[in-house]
Amino acid sequence: MSLIQLQNVSVDLPVFEMGGRSLKKRLVALGRRDRIAKDNDGVVVVRALDSLNLTLQEGDRVGLIGRNGAGKSTLLRVLAGIYPPTSGHIYSRGRIVPLLDISLGMDELSTGRQNVRLRGLLLGMSDAEIRRKTEEIATFTELGDHLDLPLRTYSSGMRLRLAFAVSTAVDADILLLDEVIGVGDVSFMKKAEERMLDLHNRAKIVVLASHSDEVIRKMCNKALWMDRGRAREFGTVDFVTGKYIEEQATSMLPP
Amino acid sequence: MFATALRDLSASLAAWRLWSLLGWLEIRQRYARSKLGPFWLTISMGVIVGSIGIVYGTLFNQNLADYLPMMGIGLVFWSLLTGIINESCLAYINSAGYIRQTSTPKLLFMLQVGWRNLMIFLHNFVIVILLLAVFGSKDWSTLPIFIPGLVLFILNALWIGQVAGVISARFRDLPQITAAMLQMAFYVTPILYHPSMLNKHQWIVDFNPFAHLLDLVRGPLIGDPPSVLTWCVTGVMAVLGWLLALALTERYLKRIPYWV
Repeated sequence: MSLIQLQNVSVDLPVFEMGGRSLKKRLVALGRRDRIAKDNDGVVVVRALDSLNLTLQEGDRVGLIGRNGAGKSTLLRVLAGIYPPTSGHIYSRGRIVPLLDISLGMDELSTGRQNVRLRGLLLGMSDAEIRRKTEEIATFTELGDHLDLPLRTYSSGMRLRLAFAVSTAVDADILLLDEVIGVGDVSFMKKAEERMLDLHNRAKIVVLASHSDEVIRKMCNKALWMDRGRAREFGTVDFVTGKYIEEQATSMLPP
Repeated sequence: MFATALRDLSASLAAWRLWSLLGWLEIRQRYARSKLGPFWLTISMGVIVGSIGIVYGTLFNQNLADYLPMMGIGLVFWSLLTGIINESCLAYINSAGYIRQTSTPKLLFMLQVGWRNLMIFLHNFVIVILLLAVFGSKDWSTLPIFIPGLVLFILNALWIGQVAGVISARFRDLPQITAAMLQMAFYVTPILYHPSMLNKHQWIVDFNPFAHLLDLVRGPLIGDPPSVLTWCVTGVMAVLGWLLALALTERYLKRIPYWV
């Protein structure tokens, strides 16, 4: 049984100004009496998530919608365990895999195969798991002998194929995606879409942040509307996206 | 006690494949496609040892057969120590991409720095072997003590690195402060000179933890077994230091993704 539960989760992101990063300034300030008057410690705190309650169960395919800066990416990072919440509790069961940046950690000088291993290890796969999947990944990329050449000889399309193939080979109970992973090449697109769908189907819970209504309608059965760090609406896709579009329309009207 | 920190440490150790690979890739990146690769480090270290040996050996009126191994071996270990500490300051900062995109344990980035510097050290170790082969040791029977000495040496370097790394993630001027302080420490640590040359200022060596650390690894190699005091100082330092590092990690591990 896979499950994620957020109870009253808040996240404060510190935004550091130059002075806030200085140990010297901090130590000098300790010796001063008029500490308050001079300057504050150069740290501004932004509340990115505000007392969020959420329960995701097996079978949930959740689309995250909301404006830029509404907290979608922060929420994904909290779900992934990257950002431990400032307050509140998070409870999860199952293997969580965030695919936020699929090209993360690719090494220019290593060959395609070596990059498969590196990326696999970063995704938390074991060596045995990587060995088992390497052939399947190699076939999918259609890169053939290029896989034994260093990555710096690859075109950007080839890199993307490789990154996509490894990232989507992962077995996740809970899959977290920031925007849909696209693969530029038109001829490759169909294959990539199928693979993506297969990845979705293997996972028990999927959370997908996207600005595209179409994608959310196609891939998800629930939607969560984030607004300034709070959950505005959570429910079926039609209901939530309907409300969201409604509000966008009204806010665009002249006063 | 230290439940979070210890859990991260054991998860990091278990991910040894990842940090050893990342550490090695970084070395390779620096010496991309040069024929000798990391052995350029060995050559440049060899040149430094040779030139300092001749200049300072003459200045101090030293017998080269004694002076060169003492200074050369000291320099190799000093560069291992400062390499770990200086680069640890950047361990979390430079891994920001990984830390903010995946949920790997955090201490693995420190182990990566340690591993990378250990690899570089092994390349430099050629110089140590050469010096010993040419000039010999006063007493070869002390050689086996080198192994526990090196372990204790690295344990100490790693806790200093972890403390510096966590604080540097928050305060970005610490790497510069650390580099400046280590530069100063270089001159008050008996690397270029023999401790006995300080005459009445022996206390500079006695109260200098770096001098004890160096003695731990250099002594067994050149046939001067480390004193009981040195073992005690470095042992206590390692225990207290790791307690400090774990306490700091326990308290601030969760903040690292927000800081980097």
